[in-house]
Amino acid sequence: MKKLQTIFGILSGALSLVLTIGVKTFFSACDHMTDTGAYMSCHWAEQAVFAISLVLCVTSVAMVLMRDPKMRSGLAMAMVPQAVITMLIPNVFINLCMKTDMQCHSVMRPAVMLLCGGIAVCAAIAAFLGIKAKEKA
Amino acid sequence: MLHSLALKNLRGKPGRTAVLMILTALLALTVISGTIIVSSLRSGLSSLEDRLGAEIMVVPYEATTKKSFENILLQGSTGYFYMDKSVMDQVSETEGIGELSAQFYLASTSSGCCSIPVQLIGFDPETDFTIQPWIRRSFNEPLKENDIVIGNDLNAFVGDTLQFYGVDCRVAAKLEKTGTSFDTTVFTGFDTIKKMTRASIDKGLNTYKGVDPEAVVSCLLINTSDERSPEEVVNDTNLHNKKVRAVRTKEMISGVSDSLGGVSRIVGILMAAVWVLGGVILLLAFTMSVNERKKEFAVMRVIGASRGLLARTVMSEALAVGLFGSLIGIALGLFIMLPFAGAAEQLLAMPYLLPSAGKTAALAAAALAVSVLTGALTAAVSAYRISRLDTGVILRGDN
Repeated sequence: MKKLQTIFGILSGALSLVLTIGVKTFFSACDHMTDTGAYMSCHWAEQAVFAISLVLCVTSVAMVLMRDPKMRSGLAMAMVPQAVITMLIPNVFINLCMKTDMQCHSVMRPAVMLLCGGIAVCAAIAAFLGIKAKEKA
Repeated sequence: MLHSLALKNLRGKPGRTAVLMILTALLALTVISGTIIVSSLRSGLSSLEDRLGAEIMVVPYEATTKKSFENILLQGSTGYFYMDKSVMDQVSETEGIGELSAQFYLASTSSGCCSIPVQLIGFDPETDFTIQPWIRRSFNEPLKENDIVIGNDLNAFVGDTLQFYGVDCRVAAKLEKTGTSFDTTVFTGFDTIKKMTRASIDKGLNTYKGVDPEAVVSCLLINTSDERSPEEVVNDTNLHNKKVRAVRTKEMISGVSDSLGGVSRIVGILMAAVWVLGGVILLLAFTMSVNERKKEFAVMRVIGASRGLLARTVMSEALAVGLFGSLIGIALGLFIMLPFAGAAEQLLAMPYLLPSAGKTAALAAAALAVSVLTGALTAAVSAYRISRLDTGVILRGDN
């Protein structure tokens, strides 16, 4: 059970790392405006996702390194709302661009939603496995 | 007993089971992704045909030489062109005109006066027969002054206020998704769009080569009556009006249709190649797996298992692997293709409209059937071979 919990911890950590790197590279928000050089609102959504994804990375590393299953479950449970909140940042908490065919809508938002969904599911399973292990003990 | 034996066999060799499941998952992923792409492109083209809504378009001659009108209608570029309003009267005299309506184009800018740089299309509510039937699906009231109807890809909602050249406009309705450039277009009545044009001239943002917005239109849309064919009306219009050009909308989208055919063929070939390759790999994998387990099957024969039971065990394993692998592949395919439809549309630069939920479910079911059937067919060869097993030879170690 502990091994399986570690596997899900590593999985959520890997997804958090992909989110952290990806949101600044492969699925970043739209570029700044060519004429004025100003950033559009989606840039701030990207920054917010990046900041929370760093926290997700640290939390998942801590979860994998911890030995106490109770602590592990606690950290995993904390990751679930973090991931859900990150999922809601693009276009719910912070508006994206006006045209939904732009990069922030067509690439960044679905990628953030899928990865955060994956992190939330993995973290929830890790938390559940920790609770189960505790019950058995 | 048979099912539990097959499942125990699969659980006993997790590595082999995982490889077989990954192969069937890849097969299902390719089939579902390919079919969604082809189906979306076809729906997009059909949606574009519907949305153009007229058989003939009459535009200023310069617009056809610069290809600007095709870019605006098919590629989603913003722009405008104008011709004298009197052309409408001349064209209306052409024999065989059933319906005739004018449109007025305007492009907003990204500067502070406009909420968003988009293509603005103004129509005459009295004569329009292309946009209003489409608007009525979302909004069944006449548009008031400063009311606009926005395409589905604009991130605004009914009741919001958008500003174009300083004119505050209320979003009266948001249209259904079409998968075409019309999804990022703003539609409004003639009065409102002309108010915007005058505002842009007053602000010094545009001069429109000195044209008077009241005296011009951008294009005429025509549907022919039953008396004459569109071809005849096009020829007649072009013959009698030198400054304008009449084009059949079918010809305009023939380029898109050709590209779509090309992309569909490539996707089809790729799908077939992956299917054949996947089938061959699965056949090899099942054959190798059965060869490895010959002694195991021979022992089962010795303790009383019939030839049929051995064949059914192999088939049950293949079906279980095929079903789970295909479900994983289809789920993955849907998780990639549905949220990233916008990215696919950008990448293909063609009209792209996702199929409805019902059609997507049917495509997923078909992909499941194809991949499970492929797995079962490849396993059937191994099942047949194992049912012909000579127990004595195997156990003596001669084979």
